[in-house]
Parts: sequence; C-alpha cells; structure tokens
Amino acid sequence: MDLRGFLKRLRREFDLMTISQTVIASVVLLLFLIAPLALMVGQAFLYKGTPSLTWFLKILGNREFVSLTPRGGMLFKVHRGIMYLWGLDYGILMNTLIVALSVMILCSLIGVAVAVIMARYSFKGKEFFRVLLLIPLLATPFVNAYVIGKLFSPRRGLINFLLCDVLHILPWRIDIDGLVGIALAQTLAFYPIVYLNVYASLMNIDPSLEEQAENLGARGFRLFRTITLPLSLPGLAAGAIIVFIFSMEDLGAPIGFIGARANPLARKVVSYQIYSSFAEALTGGISPRTAALAVLMLFITVAGFIAIKRYVSLRSYAMLTRGGRWSPRVRKLPWRAQIVIYAFLLLLVVTASMPQIGTILLATTNWATSGVLPTRFTWEYLKALTTNPDVTRAIVNSLLYSGAAVTLMILVGASIAYVVARRDIPGRSLLDILATIPVAVPGIALAIGYFLFFSSYFRRTLLDPLIDPAPLLVFAYSVRRLPFTSRAIFAGLQQIDVSLEEASLNLGAGRPTTFFRIVLPLIAPNIIGGSILSFVYSMAEVSTSVTLGALREDRVPITFFISQIVYGVAAVGAVSIGAALCVLLMSVQIIAMVISNYVLKQRVAFLGV
Amino acid sequence: MVKVVLKGITKRFGDVVAAGNVNLEIKDGEFFTLLGPSGCGKTTTLRIIAGLEQPDEGRVYFGDRDVTDLPPYKRNTGMVFQNYALWPHMSVFDNIAYGLKVRKVPKEEIKERVQRVLDLVKLRGLERRFPSQLSGGQQQRVALARVLVVEPEVLLLDEPLSNLDAKLRIEMREEIKDLQRRLKITTIYVTHDQEEAMVISDRVAIQNKGVIHQVGDPGEVYNRPKDLFVATFIGRGTLLEGIVEREEEPARIRVGDLIFQGRFSSDHKKVKRGDKVACVLRPENFSLEKPKGPSNLFEGVVEWTAFVGPYTEVRVSVGGNKILIDVPPDVKVSVGERIRVYIPQEDTIILPLEESP
Ligand SMILES: Nc1ncnc2c1ncn2[C@@H]1O[C@H](COP(=O)(O)OP(=O)(O)OP(=O)(O)O)[C@@H](O)[C@H]1O
Ligand SMILES: [Mg+2]
Repeated sequence: MDLRGFLKRLRREFDLMTISQTVIASVVLLLFLIAPLALMVGQAFLYKGTPSLTWFLKILGNREFVSLTPRGGMLFKVHRGIMYLWGLDYGILMNTLIVALSVMILCSLIGVAVAVIMARYSFKGKEFFRVLLLIPLLATPFVNAYVIGKLFSPRRGLINFLLCDVLHILPWRIDIDGLVGIALAQTLAFYPIVYLNVYASLMNIDPSLEEQAENLGARGFRLFRTITLPLSLPGLAAGAIIVFIFSMEDLGAPIGFIGARANPLARKVVSYQIYSSFAEALTGGISPRTAALAVLMLFITVAGFIAIKRYVSLRSYAMLTRGGRWSPRVRKLPWRAQIVIYAFLLLLVVTASMPQIGTILLATTNWATSGVLPTRFTWEYLKALTTNPDVTRAIVNSLLYSGAAVTLMILVGASIAYVVARRDIPGRSLLDILATIPVAVPGIALAIGYFLFFSSYFRRTLLDPLIDPAPLLVFAYSVRRLPFTSRAIFAGLQQIDVSLEEASLNLGAGRPTTFFRIVLPLIAPNIIGGSILSFVYSMAEVSTSVTLGALREDRVPITFFISQIVYGVAAVGAVSIGAALCVLLMSVQIIAMVISNYVLKQRVAFLGV
Repeated sequence: MVKVVLKGITKRFGDVVAAGNVNLEIKDGEFFTLLGPSGCGKTTTLRIIAGLEQPDEGRVYFGDRDVTDLPPYKRNTGMVFQNYALWPHMSVFDNIAYGLKVRKVPKEEIKERVQRVLDLVKLRGLERRFPSQLSGGQQQRVALARVLVVEPEVLLLDEPLSNLDAKLRIEMREEIKDLQRRLKITTIYVTHDQEEAMVISDRVAIQNKGVIHQVGDPGEVYNRPKDLFVATFIGRGTLLEGIVEREEEPARIRVGDLIFQGRFSSDHKKVKRGDKVACVLRPENFSLEKPKGPSNLFEGVVEWTAFVGPYTEVRVSVGGNKILIDVPPDVKVSVGERIRVYIPQEDTIILPLEESP
C-alpha cells in the first residue's frame, strides 16, 4: 500500500477515543509488564558489566540444578513397613520440568476421560457431578498441600489409617511427600482446567462429523481415536499447556508441603528457590543468578504458550464448519458401563475434593492437633477472622488490592478488547498478545522483575516496593489477571454484530457516544462477569503476594498470611486460621461463580489459550 | 433532497475487487437499485456511500459536496442494514429516538416525531416493546422508522427484505415504494432479487465482480441487455452461440444449421462478419402463431414440459439446440410432438460474445 493511503487510513482509525484507549493500555503494559521483565532479562545476561551467558551456564552446569543421576530422594522404596513416594532429585531445574510434565500428562489423561464422559454420555446425577468436578477449582492456597501431606502422613495420616489399618488393602503404609506430593497436589488442583477446555472443544464439534464416521463404519474407540480426539486436540493442547505453566510457577504446593512435613525434597523446585532467595531482597538486592533462574522459567513457559497458541489458532480455524446450531451427541449407556463411570467419577471427585474438605475440617474442628480424625467442632478459627486484628487487616488489604486491581483491569482490558476487536491499527495483534501473555508469565518472575525495576528506577517514590508494596501489588494483580477481563470483554464484543455500532454512526453519533450508549450496555454482563472472576483470582493470588507483599508488615495480603502460617512460622493451631482464611476465599469464589452463572447467565470464562 | 454521484470508486479487499471503477449518478428523489449476484460488491458500494467503508480510489458527492472524507456520522444518510441492527437493549421508542437524541432535538419534539414516524410505518402502540418481541416484518419497519425519523438526505437499504417470507416481502416492497414516493427521498436499494429490483426501481444498475455492467430503467435492462452477463443474469432465456453472416441490421446469424435474423442489443459497430456472437431468446417472446412483424421460425421436437401455472414451460430440440419456450396453459403439447414456434426479429437479441462492461 502506498504511504499516503496508509497515513490516511491511520488518521481515520486513530480518532480520539482509539488514541486514549491505545495509550492507556500501552502505558500500563509497558510499565508493569514489559519493562520489569526486560530489565530482569537484561540483568540475567550481564556478568560483571558485560553481556554474557555466564549465569545461565552456571545454573545449567551445576549438579544442584541439572543432574543426570539422582542425587537423593526415594521412589517406591519400602522401608520398615512404609513405602516412600518422595520422588528422585535430578536437580532443581530437572525436578521442576519432570513435575510439570508429569502433572500435565496426568491432568490430560484425567481431564480427557472426564470431558468425554461429561460431553458424550448421559447418566443419572450428571448435573450433580458437573458441580462436584469443579470443586478443585476452589482456591485453597498452601492449605491444600498441607492437607494432602497430613492425609498421607505414614503415622497419623487418615488415608493410611483407612487403607492400611482398617481395610487392610495396602500391605504397607504409604508416605507421599516431596516432589511426588507436589505433583499429586497440583494434579488434583489442575485437572479441571484440561477437563473444561476439552469439554468445550467436544461440545463444539459438529455432530455430523462423528455421525459421518459412524455411518462409514467407525465406532467405539476407533471413532474416538480417529475423529473425536483429533478434533478436540486444540482444547487439550490449550488446557495442557496452562497446566504445565501453572505447575512450573506454583508456590503453593512446595510451601504447603514444607509446612506440613518439612521434607527437603519439596524445596527442590525452581519456584521455591526463587522465592527463598527473595529474602535477600530485603538486605542486599536480588542476585543475577536468581534473575537468570527466573528468566529460564519465563522462557520455557512463554515459549510453550506461544507455540501452543499458534497451533490452536491454526487448528480451530480449520475446524470451522458450515451450518447453524446443533445439539451435541449425547448417548445413554447400559447399566454396566454406567457403574464403571460412577465408580471412576466418585473416586475422582472424592480424591480431588480432599484438599477442600480437609481445609473446611481444619477450619471448623481441632483436626490440626487431634491426630487421625478430628474430635471436636469449634467456631474459634472462623471467629478469629473478625477478632484477630492481624487477620482482619490482611483481609481488608486483599479486598482493597483486588478491588483496585479490578477497576484498573476493566479500564485496560476494555480498551484492549475494543481496539483489538474493532479498530484496524498497526500493533493491534501485539496488544492482543500482550493482553493474553500474562497467563504464561510466572508470578514469581514478575515479582523479581518488579523488585529489580521499581526499587532501582522508582526509588523513594510511591512505586518503590521497599517503601510501600501495596501499589505494586495492585498493578501485579491487574496485569496477571488481565487476560480474564480482556477475554471476557472480547468475547462479548465478538457477539455483538458490528452493524449495531455502524447503525449508530450512521444516525449521527460519534465514536465515544456509540461506545458508551451502544457498546457498553451490551457488553456489561461480560464486563461484570470478567471482573468478578478477576477479583476472585486476585484475592487468591500467591506469587507476588508472598514476595512483594512480605516487604511491609502492615501491607500483607491474605495469601501471604496463609503462607506464613502454613510455613510454620506461627504457633501450633495457627494452620487452622490459615484454613479459615481459605474457607473465606472459597466462599467468595462460590458466590462469584453463582452470580456469574445464574444471575449474569455467563458461562464462567475459564482459562484457555 | 440530494443527488448522489460516485466517481471512479474502487475498493479492494486483498485480491477481491469489491468495487471496480464504479461511476454512478443517482438523481434527486430517485429510487435506484443495485442488483447483482451474491458477493459482487453491492453492500460494499452502499457502505462507501454511507461512509462506513473508505474507497481506495474515487470520490463520493452528495449534490456538489464532496463527502469522501466525511466520517459516517456527518453524512446524514439513513442506512437500513440487512440484519436491521436494532439495538436489543433499547425499546422500539428508544431505538427510533436515538438519532434525534444525538442531534439534541428537544424532548417534546422527539416524542412527536417518533409518533409521526410510527404512524407512517404503521407501528403505533408498539413503542414500549423490545426488538426481540417483534416479528420480522415489524423489526424491518422499526429499522426503517429509525432512519426515516432523522430525515436523511439519502436512504440506503441493504437487502431489507431478504429476511422476510415471500408473501411479506411483496407486501413490504410495495410499502417501501409507496413511502419513498411520498417522501421523495433519494433512495439506493440493494438486492440480488431481480424481480424485486424490476418492480420497485426507477433505475437499476447491474453489478458483477465489483464492476457496473449496465444502468438503465427496468424495461431497458430487460429488453436491451448490454452484454452477456446482464442478459443471463436477468430473466430466463436460451443462449445460442453463432457466427455473424451479415452485420447490418437486421443482422443475420448462423447457429449450426439454423439461420435467423435479429437485432444487436448494444453497440454493434465492433462486430464484423464472421465474428462469434451470442443470441438471447426469452421464452415468453415465442408464440405458436406467426406474429405480424418479421420473425424467425423454429421447428423442433418437444423434449420436456413443465406446468408452472400462468404458462407451460417447454423445451424444444431444434437441430441439436435446446430452446426454452413458454406456451399458454390452455395449449396442450406433449413430449415427442413436433411443433413450430415463432419469435419476432425485434426480440431476437444479439450480443458480442466477450463480456465487456
Ligand atoms: N471487510 C472485508 N474484508 C475482506 N473482504 C471483504 C470485506 N467485505 C467484503 N469483502 C469481499 O468483497 C466482496 C464483495 O462483498 P459485498 O459484501 O459487498 O457483496 P454483496 O454484493 O453485498 O454480497 P451479498 O449479496 O452476498 O450480500 C466479497 O467477495 C466479499 O468477500
Ligand atoms: Mg450484501
């Protein structure tokens, strides 16, 4: 295109509103996503003032991080009537990758199985299971791992007591801890992500595609392998990569396990290593080696995310089929098969809800100190939420941060979504990527980036984390949860025909009037739905909360408080207060889900690529 | 109102030419129709007039004003979208009042004008309803009322009837025509339904692949198609390829063993003896009796008949060529029968073979 035409087009596209929307979004993203990460990457590549790979080589060449032979740990080892499942230590970096890959594979297997059952078969009580299957999505940071550690404790764990002492199913007690414990906790928490993504894919398959294959003679597993699975691969890929990323960046499980059992193997993952070296921040600043470790993690997650995103967008394009609405294929099963399905789902639901049930038990009984089973009910810990000044302060802090973050997210998210969906400007796809990439940025890496960037370039300002971490927490929450809001709004915009806006322009209304009178009212449910979700996930945010949030005592958010309790800093019994806080988080989340599902009639926008 | 002039309008989407050097002059108060197959660029042309799409080349004038660089909200056109684009969150009243509110018309006047336009489109009493509570025909009227109420200089209608059933379509097109005649508003109407275009328009433009092939009143376009595309797109007919034996009118054409005489539809200066041409024969122009003026005679065997209602469609094989003719419903013809049919030379249309707009 010739330059003059191009400039003319630019002038037309960049009306005042588009300019302000683009500027707002770019400034926030530049300052609170790109610059901090760029600085962190820069520092990791500097050695004694010159660019070099030294820090990375130091990490990759160190047996502590990468080892080809196990340096300790136990897997399937039976000793004195106890089978130890701790995992083998192949070095911190390898451990992290092994755990993340295992979690991804396990979640994929479970998730696909559940999705196929829920999408293709009808059986009694399906709606009931539909709800129960989502229980693991209820956030119980740190405490979930603590509960699993407690249940599998060889001496006083409930599971061992049941399976070994009461039912005699197991020949030995099992001890799940360390890396295996982390993987188990993460698998139980994350499989719904794969399930929901694959389920959505399955529901979008034109039933005639499967019917045609059946008509040509394919049935049963062959039909699944040749038609159904390939068509739902985009959903599987999207869910799997999110699980991989979440597993890599997860701090909740390692800290929870360390709190429950103090097993050193639980420390041997990247996220925990970065977290523990954050303590240096208070005294001397963060070492470039920590930055390099964070950069390694960032590269792996972002590369995986982008690769999958490309694959998915290619694939889903090819999936477009002609024709109107359809009702997905659902079939009844003979009773024998139904029993198998019930058994599977029941086992899964019970196992996967253990952390949530355990959390509630911890919060409402004396289970934390009573041994195998609780013996006494108590309101004491839930009451502490309102009476203990430290606890209430943390709650108020979290509410304020999340509220402020959501406001910012709506502004930025709506701007980006509108520009991406409606305006034809250069850099549009970059904005789109920047609005979704935070999903792939490990929170701990962002925390390191924030610390490096704002403590050096914004020294003694409101944004200096050493003076007050609160503003940075608000921005961190906004950026990390931005994808929820912007996607929800984007989805809303895609459902409104452009002609509704054009009709307004045609009748003489300018762009701002059209935006506020036509577009906003129409996407209001999406905005509210997205914000509710972002609010909930901001309340439950872990990585930046437990790092930046730690920098000033009167500014700590809920999750930092829970981590301290579970980590064992406080006295016995305090873990119950952590659990009570988790009960609070869960309640907020349930209310939010009910509102967005039943009041706004929005299918909660779940994580996807 | 105003006349609308398009000068050399071109618009491309990648390789697709949605408007190719379109030159049109739509007269003040005229009912003008853009007719063409799906995807030919009718909507694009309309959107360029409304300012919703920017042309790559060319200018748009309303009267003497060049409006090419004006944004849509400053053009004062009234566009009715194919899907009506009614705002689902606003009542009928609010939908219609929107344009007036934007223009800061006083409240009392808004009420009055909305009522008046509701009367005009026969929707009085429905102002509290929401679009989802209206039938297709009612929605269409609201969409029309919404633009009429602001008294636009140009009315743009993009296939406004395509979502309605056949009967309602005929009813509504008469109402639209009637309204337009009363309001004397310059109207540009887009459709791919040729019958609709013929019935409703003062003048029609035939578009294909972005390019305007012919502009004229309905009779002209039907009886004197300028080229092959127009001839085949409009009306039914048989197309025969032949060689020119005499280029002076009445021209003589040879098609295989048949020889007949006809009339060049467009500029025939370029056609020479020995050139290949096409011959268009409309089925309704045939008769079983010899007509008064000079005519061509065909004799052949009936291959196939179909009762349509007002006439019977008959396919006759004449020396290897299949010709479609209409015979009155009371005449009995049976397959295998030999018949003779006549077509006036006046109605034997001869066109150059290559498509040239
Ligand atoms: N925004 C766009 N981007 C790319 N191609 C477009 C766009 N709008 C239209 N086109 C293409 O331009 C051509 C003309 O489109 P247009 O909508 O004007 O056709 P139309 O004559 O209105 O067709 P229909 O009768 O189906 O409505 C088509 O090939 C279409 O695919
Ligand atoms: Mg169209």
